[in-house]
Amino acid sequence: MKIKGLTINDFYEGMKEKLRLRLVAGAPGLRNRIPFSELAQPGLIFCGYSRHFASGRGQVMGKNAIGYLRGLDPKLRRERIRLLLEQKVPFCVVTGNILPPPELLEEADRIEIPVFRSSLASGQIIDLGAAFLEGMCSPQVTYNANLMEVFGVGVLIQGKSGVGKSECALNLVARGHRLVSDDIVYIRKFRGGYLQGEAPELGRFHMEIRGLGIINVQNLFGAGCVRQRKRIDMAVTLEAWASDKEYERLGLDESRTELLKVKIPHLLIPVRPGRNLDLLIETAALNYRIKMMGLNPAQEFDRIVREKIQSKSGSSFR
Amino acid sequence: MKELTREVEIKNKLGLHARPAARLVQVANRFSSDIMVKSGDDEVNAKSIMGILMLAAAQGSRLKVRVRGQDAEPALDAIVSLVENKFEEE
Repeated sequence: MKIKGLTINDFYEGMKEKLRLRLVAGAPGLRNRIPFSELAQPGLIFCGYSRHFASGRGQVMGKNAIGYLRGLDPKLRRERIRLLLEQKVPFCVVTGNILPPPELLEEADRIEIPVFRSSLASGQIIDLGAAFLEGMCSPQVTYNANLMEVFGVGVLIQGKSGVGKSECALNLVARGHRLVSDDIVYIRKFRGGYLQGEAPELGRFHMEIRGLGIINVQNLFGAGCVRQRKRIDMAVTLEAWASDKEYERLGLDESRTELLKVKIPHLLIPVRPGRNLDLLIETAALNYRIKMMGLNPAQEFDRIVREKIQSKSGSSFR
Repeated sequence: MKELTREVEIKNKLGLHARPAARLVQVANRFSSDIMVKSGDDEVNAKSIMGILMLAAAQGSRLKVRVRGQDAEPALDAIVSLVENKFEEE
């Protein structure tokens, strides 16, 4: 897939931990753009055949490619490396903790193409790397909401201004959960239909609390209470309690909401003085987890009631 | 304050399981009157879903509905007709 606007540095910053990337050459090239989301392996170009080479892809080299290069005599090796790097290659990853040949590092430094080393296998780098690049270029929306990680569950907290989203998030942080973003969340859809949210870089981990002003959550509560990005598993909408409105009582039917055409579980939680919202959200997150483990408490309870009813009314079920 | 009582029979096949129970509670909550429902020896508040479910009332069992309050009459009518209409379920 052709992609736009993404630099190699974005890829490096976004994936260096997950892909265990170490920059070993060509640092000035980090500012260059990545034209395609796919990652590829060099293949026959090291044999000198470049006619059908797909240019513009990050190149992933493992034992196979590097082993082949090692077998060439140094002069030819440099020539073939140069041939590869001339195909608008944005960056290279040498996988499996293999030492890159010095010619690769020298040529990469010369043409300013970043080379990374990683301890992961080529397959993992190709899969995860391409998914990340594709995701970074997929549609992004800006949402007025809070994103929290509660017991490992990514909960998007929505609601009108002043309903208490930030106070609720602050309470959750104080209880040891993590803040991803307050007020503004960038949401992106990744491969496989999963949503990821993160805070805008400016103002990350800051919060505005009415009456207090702007606080820095990371400074106040520590690094354990924040998280840079998080998959969004469920959404919660806080709403001022309307006495004429009927709220969910059973939880037998899962209501859903749609974000970027992805459906996620959604709860509408009425707010009223004395309702402990953070506790409700914690419980909702735990309930989500238990459903993911294949248990549905509401269905289970209904089953028990039905059994009891049946045992009472032998005649109609005989 | 007025207190009204009426008896009504559960007609739907599956009895008072979660969905009809939720509907009953929903209807009861539209009224300000106190509404109690009795089945056998148990009497519970009709506005409490857990209470209604605890009754586990089967088809053919009789519920005694007791209503007390300003809107007792319409409340009783609404509850009785809901039960008689099998909770609009089947």
